[in-house]
Amino acid sequence: MSATDSNPLMAPTNPHAGIIKSTMLLGGVVFLLMMIFGLIMRAAQGGLLELDPTLFYLLLTAHGAGMVGSAALSGAAILWYFCARHLDLRGGIYLAFLGLFLLGVVLILGAIFVGQYGGAWTFLFPLPAISGGAWEAGAAVTFILGYLFIGVGFLLYYLELGLKISAKYRGLFGGLGWRYLFGGSDENLPPPTIVAASSVLVFNTIGIVFGAAVIAANIVNLLFPDFVVNPLFAKNATYFFGHVFINATIYMAVVAVYELLPDYTGRPWKTTKLFIGAWAAVVIFVQAVYFHHLLQDVNMPAWTLALGQIISYASGVPLIGVTVFSLAIYIKGSGLKWDLPISLLVMGTVGWGIGSIPAIIDGMLAVNKLMHNTQWVPGHFHIYLLLGEVAMAFGFSVWLVKGKSQEVMSGLDKLVFRAYMLGGAGFVLIFLWSGASSIPRRWAVHYEAWQLQSQLASAFALVVVLATTALVVRYALGLLRKA
Amino acid sequence: MQTTILLITLVLMAATLALILRAVLATDGPPPSDTAPKTRIRLLWTLVVFGVVLSVATLREWPHTSAGSDSMVVNITSGQWWWETDTTEIPLGQQVEFHVTSDDVNHGLGIYDPDMRLVVQVQAMPTYTNKVVHTFDQPGTYQILCMEFCGIAHHDMAYEFDVVEENS
Ligand code: HEM
Ligand SMILES: [Cu+2]
Ligand SMILES: [Cu+2]
Repeated sequence: MSATDSNPLMAPTNPHAGIIKSTMLLGGVVFLLMMIFGLIMRAAQGGLLELDPTLFYLLLTAHGAGMVGSAALSGAAILWYFCARHLDLRGGIYLAFLGLFLLGVVLILGAIFVGQYGGAWTFLFPLPAISGGAWEAGAAVTFILGYLFIGVGFLLYYLELGLKISAKYRGLFGGLGWRYLFGGSDENLPPPTIVAASSVLVFNTIGIVFGAAVIAANIVNLLFPDFVVNPLFAKNATYFFGHVFINATIYMAVVAVYELLPDYTGRPWKTTKLFIGAWAAVVIFVQAVYFHHLLQDVNMPAWTLALGQIISYASGVPLIGVTVFSLAIYIKGSGLKWDLPISLLVMGTVGWGIGSIPAIIDGMLAVNKLMHNTQWVPGHFHIYLLLGEVAMAFGFSVWLVKGKSQEVMSGLDKLVFRAYMLGGAGFVLIFLWSGASSIPRRWAVHYEAWQLQSQLASAFALVVVLATTALVVRYALGLLRKA
Repeated sequence: MQTTILLITLVLMAATLALILRAVLATDGPPPSDTAPKTRIRLLWTLVVFGVVLSVATLREWPHTSAGSDSMVVNITSGQWWWETDTTEIPLGQQVEFHVTSDDVNHGLGIYDPDMRLVVQVQAMPTYTNKVVHTFDQPGTYQILCMEFCGIAHHDMAYEFDVVEENS
């Protein structure tokens, strides 16, 4: 069943394989490090270790920015790798992207651990400028500048994808598949990866531009405090950017499933009208849905809040009805032999789908009144990040170092996979339970009545950390073996 | 209320997972039948219809209650890292309209009942006044906790008030 030999464009022949492998190693190591920060935070909430609240908030900021950054980096690496199967991409652009990204990371880490910036990854105006004495304006400016470099890197990256897609598929409408959707011919139909790439580049470019606007406003305000920014506008722009950017990471990573699952099932993932329509819906929904972050901002026009609730639900429809459903029917009865890469990729897709359920529920106004900014929120997003994007990223990584002959799961692989899945499931479910117990999110210190949950969650988190360590080591050894 | 929400969520998650796993784990069984596309269209329509019903049912009565004519106004100001209110005593059964604002950064007003259950919340923002209405029907000591990250003492922003039975 392995199409490893039937596909002419396998790992060794992809001209970008080397740099992508290094990116995934970097991403994996940072994921692991940030998980350790997460474990420390959860243990501190459980009273299992003594942690100065100031340090907790520095770790929270690093964990948020570091995880979102690594998700974006790994998603971008995956998308680039598979787009290179269809497009003639310039390696220099990727290097520039990576360089800008790393420069951004250095600034962000410096701002946090040298400058003591602890205003969280969302840098919600005017917190960066009003720290209550915890950090100086310079640290906040450095942090935000770090974002700006990463943003510029991404714009460059998307520009290259956009140019190459437009050239090959007659404009972005061709790449999005819209020409075919609206009655055009199916000649030169873009493969699923290109439809996904076109969609992500459209909405994430818009997201990054709004992010840049609020970054610029923050920087000017930090340098000239007399320059006032409307805090409600800043909140809108921040959440628009944040929502779009974090969602883009998963939408980029999922192309690994489109491209690799067929190797296992012998059934190609096809570009159908339904597939194109689902991605068209995503382009709209992912931008209109951010209002669900503002359901407790009663000064927002009521229709925006209603829209936030309705689009939250609507976003789940293409995810469950198209992506997850397709996954199921491509796999059913295909004779697929489970190995570690495909197990992780499938877990990632399923986790993403399941994680949308608590998100949709929290997107309802009546529920949000009771769950907003409780640990319900990290509960739902850890499901589709930890058991979604990150699982896909590790699945892709271990596929990169897979041997030519079909490997089945070794006993150790099975153990690692199960530990990651069950540890992760326990960890995220306890977040949901904590949210239902009204425990607020982002609290460095938890009241005693809340600590049992944090302690149990720490145990599950430890299992995830160990499993992830094994995954990173396995990948690194694989790289050495191949080299 | 929160427990119900949690249970519904867990049931939906478990049911969806079970449906997916039935297909995903059946790799060696028969391939999907020819009716799979039809099943998918039916699923999509079901999701759409259910969504419309759910949206209408949950939004027709606007969840952000507006104040009645006999409601009592309580002004709340927040700052790093304190709360300030007009009063620390609210009569039992009284509808209250909180007018909430902030002197510096974004905070979040979260009102916790004597059992430490969150009963209502709203954002507190500089230059804006956010209104939220709640009727207190359980006496005792309530807490206000901060729900929006506001810096290094975010978790220390707690404040108390009492809901008291009036013995007029
Ligand atoms: C072992 C794995 C992990 C552990 C133990 C962990 C732990 C935590 C903890 C304790 C928090 C703060 C919760 C609170 O608000 O009270 C948090 C927040 C967060 N985590 Fe994780 N996490 C893990 C994995 C991940 C992964 C894989 C991602 C994304 C790829 C991620 C992204 C985030 C984000 C974005 C936040 C929000 C930060 C903020 O509120 O500013 N985490 N995590
Ligand atoms: Cu506060
Ligand atoms: Cu706060």
